[in-house]
Amino acid sequence: MELRIAGTVNDSIVDGPGIRFTIFTQGCPHNCKGCHNPQTHDFNGGTVVDTDELLAKISGNPLLDGVTFSGGEPFCQADALSFIGRQIKELGLNIVTYTGYTFEQLWKGREENGWQKLLEVTDILIDGPFILEQKNWEIHFRGSTNQRCLDCQASLREGKAVEIEL
Amino acid sequence: MIIHIIKRDGRKVPFNIEKIANAIFKAAQAKGGTDFNAAMDVAVEVCRLYEEQNPGGTPTVEEIQDLVEKTLIEKGHAKTAKAYILYRYERTRSREMKTNLMCVLNELTFSPAKDSDIKRENANIDGDTAMGTMLKYGSVSAKEYYEMYVLEPRHAKAHRDGDIHIHDLDFYTLTTTCCQIDLTKLFHNGFSTGHGYLREPNDISSYSALACIAIQSNQNDQHGGQSIPTFDYAMAEGVKKTYAARYIRNIARALSLIAGVENEDEAAKAIKSEISEKFGLMPVLANDNGYQEKELELLLNYTDKETAAKIQAFARKNAEKEADRATYQAMEALIHNLNTMNSRAGAQTPFSSINYGTDTSPEGRMVIKNVLLAQEAGLGNGETPIFPIHIFKIKDGINYNPTDPNYDLFKLACRVSAKRLFPNFSFIDAPYNLQYYKEGCPDTEIAYMGCRTRVIGNKHDPSREIVTGRGNLSFTSINLPRLAIKSDHNVGLFFDKLDEMMDLVIDQLMHRFKIQSQKRVRNFPFLMGQGIWIDSDKLSTDDTIGEVLKHGTLSVGFIGLAEALKSLIGAHHGESEEARELGIEIITAMRKRLDEESNRTGLNFSLLATPAEGLSGRFVRMDAKKYGIIEGVTDRDYYTNSFHVPVYYPISAFEKIKIEAPYHELTNAGHISYIELDGDPLENLAAFEKIVRCMKESGIGYGAINHPVDRDPCCGYTGIIGETCPCCGRKEHTNNIAFDRIRRITGYLVGTLDRFNNGKRSEEHDRVKHSI
Repeated sequence: MELRIAGTVNDSIVDGPGIRFTIFTQGCPHNCKGCHNPQTHDFNGGTVVDTDELLAKISGNPLLDGVTFSGGEPFCQADALSFIGRQIKELGLNIVTYTGYTFEQLWKGREENGWQKLLEVTDILIDGPFILEQKNWEIHFRGSTNQRCLDCQASLREGKAVEIEL
Repeated sequence: MIIHIIKRDGRKVPFNIEKIANAIFKAAQAKGGTDFNAAMDVAVEVCRLYEEQNPGGTPTVEEIQDLVEKTLIEKGHAKTAKAYILYRYERTRSREMKTNLMCVLNELTFSPAKDSDIKRENANIDGDTAMGTMLKYGSVSAKEYYEMYVLEPRHAKAHRDGDIHIHDLDFYTLTTTCCQIDLTKLFHNGFSTGHGYLREPNDISSYSALACIAIQSNQNDQHGGQSIPTFDYAMAEGVKKTYAARYIRNIARALSLIAGVENEDEAAKAIKSEISEKFGLMPVLANDNGYQEKELELLLNYTDKETAAKIQAFARKNAEKEADRATYQAMEALIHNLNTMNSRAGAQTPFSSINYGTDTSPEGRMVIKNVLLAQEAGLGNGETPIFPIHIFKIKDGINYNPTDPNYDLFKLACRVSAKRLFPNFSFIDAPYNLQYYKEGCPDTEIAYMGCRTRVIGNKHDPSREIVTGRGNLSFTSINLPRLAIKSDHNVGLFFDKLDEMMDLVIDQLMHRFKIQSQKRVRNFPFLMGQGIWIDSDKLSTDDTIGEVLKHGTLSVGFIGLAEALKSLIGAHHGESEEARELGIEIITAMRKRLDEESNRTGLNFSLLATPAEGLSGRFVRMDAKKYGIIEGVTDRDYYTNSFHVPVYYPISAFEKIKIEAPYHELTNAGHISYIELDGDPLENLAAFEKIVRCMKESGIGYGAINHPVDRDPCCGYTGIIGETCPCCGRKEHTNNIAFDRIRRITGYLVGTLDRFNNGKRSEEHDRVKHSI
């Protein structure tokens, strides 16, 4: 399947626990003030790649613990990401998904926007917009203190955000 | 007719009469002359005279100039002759001033280090200080002298032309490179530094102080690194003594406090003496030798059984606590000392390394834990220590698996390295290291000296394949890209040229070895005089050291395998399978040649993956000048170190490790592989450990992980700092204070980019991090 991305990073140690392959999706509707990756906002920017290409790179790196979907807003391409997400899980890797939406927003719109499929393959969801006023350098894997690390499957089962320590 | 003229540097060039006339005319002009034709007439006369005296000969510049003077005077141009002689003298002087040595001394004297690459040749020396400059005066003068008077002309030419690099040329006739010091042996019965005798130490703090003194003293006899290969085992002896002393002291305290004994010190000592005399026992950390049982009986002379047990428990608990504290302070002092004693030639701290990680005794574990914690804490203001280089030895069954006794210390080593870049990791289980390993014999555990040097195999005496008391004698590196460029894509030709160059370097190493062999014990008052070097304790002061030096290694190094491959077949070993195969073939051929030489001579010839600080820029500058800019070969400011995949090439950590590991086995004189991480690995220790484990599983012998270590001297924050300190929000250069940025250069940490030479600056800039 096709996916519009801003870029990828191999061997990332800053996008979740362990060593990760990070896919930065292209296109984001949130426009957070002070965003770290403003070049990923334009829905017509970046490049379009085939998910098979990405999967080949991922399966070629045995050091990986998992894959991180970042962006951009991953939930704007929930179809393609859930497609490659299922293949990634078959490789025995875990998935971290970053989103500018809150879990509550995603939960509410999960049916009508097709978000459910991406939530189903996500192990750890790091949710919430970046809020410059709440920027903090001491928290792991996040930019501002409003953002949460959630156990995505537990949250889906209970229908509410379940936080975990990373 | 004169066709050629021989210039001062010996080159034969076409003769041009106008140049002679011009020089004469300039002299005439200085005295008011205006007639060029008159000058030309003199020049023609000079030619005629020369040909008359030397029919068909080729004159030298000096001969022609002599004739010009003679002719000018004979033709009555006295004033012009005078001007011409003056002009000639000025030219000679300015030429001499331009000679390498004077020019260099001038640069050393008047250029600040930031503008002078020579002053920054070695990132550890502050070239702006008096002692730093004096060191460089000595060094450049010695190099010039050796090149002109000591080296064989063909070795000197190959070095000067950049075919090879004779490392530490300034010490060519003086000493050997480095040594792995056996502290246990040295401390036993004490030692002398030349100005006084030091008794066998009795406390961990003296052990650590004397370790520094040993490193410092030995550094004064050698120009290379000083390494302690079995640091934990050696220091454990000191912890043992400290624990025993503290234990007795606490028995005395408890006797006084709990049992009301009045002469408690005498009582405690009497108990200890009796047990040690009768049974040869001392109190030990593990408390497993039966000392306390014997002690209990004797304590009953002073108190009841229940109180005696209480006294013993009190003493054990407090002695352990105090010994732990004393060990931490001793390790802290060691690190502080090794970063501050500028004793190497007056301008540098010793190049010190310590290897540890495998001693599983409670005392050894206490040493390992505390030296790591002291490294983690850093220097006085929390700065990252530059020395010693810490090397954590990894071994299956000892510290690699969760069930191993020192696994907790391996985890701690990862945490400390993630913060401070040290320790590096060495891997005893790599087959080529494991072959020497004998359980229970620390001397057979592989050790590395800081920059990557490895000495263990021993052709000269196979019964002593150990690390202690031995080191490298000298090493010389080959410019592989040069050979490749000259071979013009012809791989067969490349191997022929490589063969020739290997012969030349082996010959040169032997030339140096013969000079070194004539040295006497008295030339090395510590290294040989105190028996640090293996078997030197069997020699007298005036004996020559040739025989014992045979335990050392003679190493051939190489630089720029990547660029050589690129030049030969258009791809380096990061890029293609074909290049990977050819790379292995090249390095295997080099190793094979050295093994043959070892078998032939009984000397330890070995192959080194050269650490290349000054060299990385020097070779490429010369080659770019000579052969022009060749894409992927001479188009950067540096050649890639040894067998490394180029730092600018994007590649996953896993692939880099897989590609580089086979070279570790081939380079028996030393090697290291680096993985670059961006981001703070302290936040992700699982990732850090995984990379170390991947190195071990892939057959790497010695590895380290690089990551940015920045520090804001204002608020003390250590981590990654971009433009703005994430802790206090200060921007770089606010109040004119820059952030400290620690990076690794040739295996050594350097606190500020200012001291990097140009080649290394641009190499650091180009490094691709194996992550975001």
